[in-house]
Amino acid sequence: MKLINKTILSYLLICIPLMIAAGAVSYFLIRNELSDGMDETLEREKLNVQKLIKSFREPANTYLGYDSLSFTKVVDRNFRSEDIYSDTSIYHKKKSERRNYRMLRSPYTYNGTTYLITLARPTIEEEQLMDSLFSAFCIIIGFFVFSFFIVSWLLSKKLWRPFYQTLTELGNYDIKQHKTTNFKPGKITEFNQLNNELTKMTDKIHNDYVKQKEFTENASHEMQTPLAVVRANLSLLMQSPNLQESEMNNLEAIENTIRKLTSLNKTLLLLAKIENNQYHENTEVNLNERIQASLDLFSSLIEAKYIKTELQIDPEVCVNMNASLADTLINNLLQNAIRHNNKGGLIRITLDPNSFTVSNSGEPLSITEEDLFVRFKKNDASIDSLGLGLSIVKSIVGIYGMQIRYKYSPPCHNFSVYF
Amino acid sequence: MKILLIEDEVELRKSIKQYLHQEGYLVESAADFIKAQEKTGVYDYDCILVDITIPHGSGLDIIKQLKEANSKAGIIIISAKNSSDDKIVGLDLGADDYLAKPFNVAELNSRIKALLRRRNFEGSKTITVNEIVIVPEERKVMANGELVALTQKEYDLLLFFVINKNRVLSKNVIAEHLWGDDSDQMDSHDFIYVHLRNLRKKLTEKGCTDYVQTIYGMGYNFKVN
Repeated sequence: MKLINKTILSYLLICIPLMIAAGAVSYFLIRNELSDGMDETLEREKLNVQKLIKSFREPANTYLGYDSLSFTKVVDRNFRSEDIYSDTSIYHKKKSERRNYRMLRSPYTYNGTTYLITLARPTIEEEQLMDSLFSAFCIIIGFFVFSFFIVSWLLSKKLWRPFYQTLTELGNYDIKQHKTTNFKPGKITEFNQLNNELTKMTDKIHNDYVKQKEFTENASHEMQTPLAVVRANLSLLMQSPNLQESEMNNLEAIENTIRKLTSLNKTLLLLAKIENNQYHENTEVNLNERIQASLDLFSSLIEAKYIKTELQIDPEVCVNMNASLADTLINNLLQNAIRHNNKGGLIRITLDPNSFTVSNSGEPLSITEEDLFVRFKKNDASIDSLGLGLSIVKSIVGIYGMQIRYKYSPPCHNFSVYF
Repeated sequence: MKILLIEDEVELRKSIKQYLHQEGYLVESAADFIKAQEKTGVYDYDCILVDITIPHGSGLDIIKQLKEANSKAGIIIISAKNSSDDKIVGLDLGADDYLAKPFNVAELNSRIKALLRRRNFEGSKTITVNEIVIVPEERKVMANGELVALTQKEYDLLLFFVINKNRVLSKNVIAEHLWGDDSDQMDSHDFIYVHLRNLRKKLTEKGCTDYVQTIYGMGYNFKVN
């Protein structure tokens, strides 16, 4: 949920009960005030009626002028002597509706005679007043709440805009690009602080990342010379005239291991260089030519495994990339297709303006598809491979913004590069 | 033949020196930029092996100075920095070849030989081993006066053997020479065997002695007395 919506909703959840409570309280206050006013009027009238009674020469029942509901009546001397206010509603035949009245019954004793004064006043005016007051109140409250929401929504939008800009900027940040984050300074201290901290953080992460990459590259470089020393000495040792067979076997084992170490180092260096963007000289590479060259290079391997090759190639396809990386890409895919192929299997190479696909027959994968492009993950541990070929392919494809996808449609493994 | 080796790593210097010395070269060495400048300033060499990263300067500057002084020495860069930039800069400056560490000394040897041959230092454009004559410029091989039709790989293999004659060459070294960076494939050893078998057959058919000895567990030796 968006922050703005969440804020508004929270306000709303708090405001609704508050508004209901405020409405109820004000309703009762207004009603009390009005009915107090009415009671005062009745009280004044009562005093007038008492004056009237004092003017009587002899006890009598009278209708008072207000309406037929107000009158004085002579009652028993023992009548309760308290004023009683009450609400009543009486049916009006003429208007065929019930009307509410406020009534006062007040006993009054004068010259030994007890009168019961009954006064009734219609409350319709007060009710109308009450209604309009209450509606006015509701409208004002409603208007306030509504404008509050609108204002806070607009304000939030404006106030949080720098925050969303920061978010977008962060979302676009790519550690691999040599680009620092560019947050726009605003008027709000907290957001500026946030931006400053983020800038510091991304700069530091980027520096660490660069250092890390340089470290890999430098470490690989530093290993080259010691490896060269070992190899040179090994070559010299091999020339000794009196080597025993077992010593020769040991020497060969050492040499094979050194070779593996050398190619591992070389491959890691290649990966580091690709990721350090050191292959920046791009040309229009005719892929058909590179594929033919690669097939040529591997021809003896392909023949030795009795692999059949099928080509569906658009000879005009050119891709703007580094020529040597194009070779590495094609060689690695082809080598992969040969290595994991069956004897007498098939390799199909398809090239069209949108994609380049190398398919090969072979056993189903024993590792997951996600692991295919992960460094040092090998489908078959026994095969003498470093497990780096496909991660090189992925790195190369990555720097040119291309896509590599794997699909298994038995019996073929398909590796497709989409330009 | 006089060779100057400019390399700061003492062990590597020693072993390269030893190997090339066995090949009959006169090898001198310099461990840093200043020493290298002194030596190149005073003596003439047929071939100079230059490491790019050396103390007190850069190997590339040595090459520049040599070229400015119109030196006739062949120059091979040996560098741990296998970057195409260095390679391009070095070759542009006038170096003749570029070999990335860690290389094989046998490979270095064949590069030196090829360089010297190209520059005609050894006075002859052909390489002769008893009844075998190789004409590198035309990639042609004659045995007892008859032309031997070799495939490209067979030719490369024979030339590598002849240049490193009387030396044990491991299968790895041969594979690296024949397939370069792509030698990391499986089965490349079997391919050497196939190419070697064909080469032997073609040579013995023309009446050649079979010079190639199999050294069990290690590789091969092109033995010439």
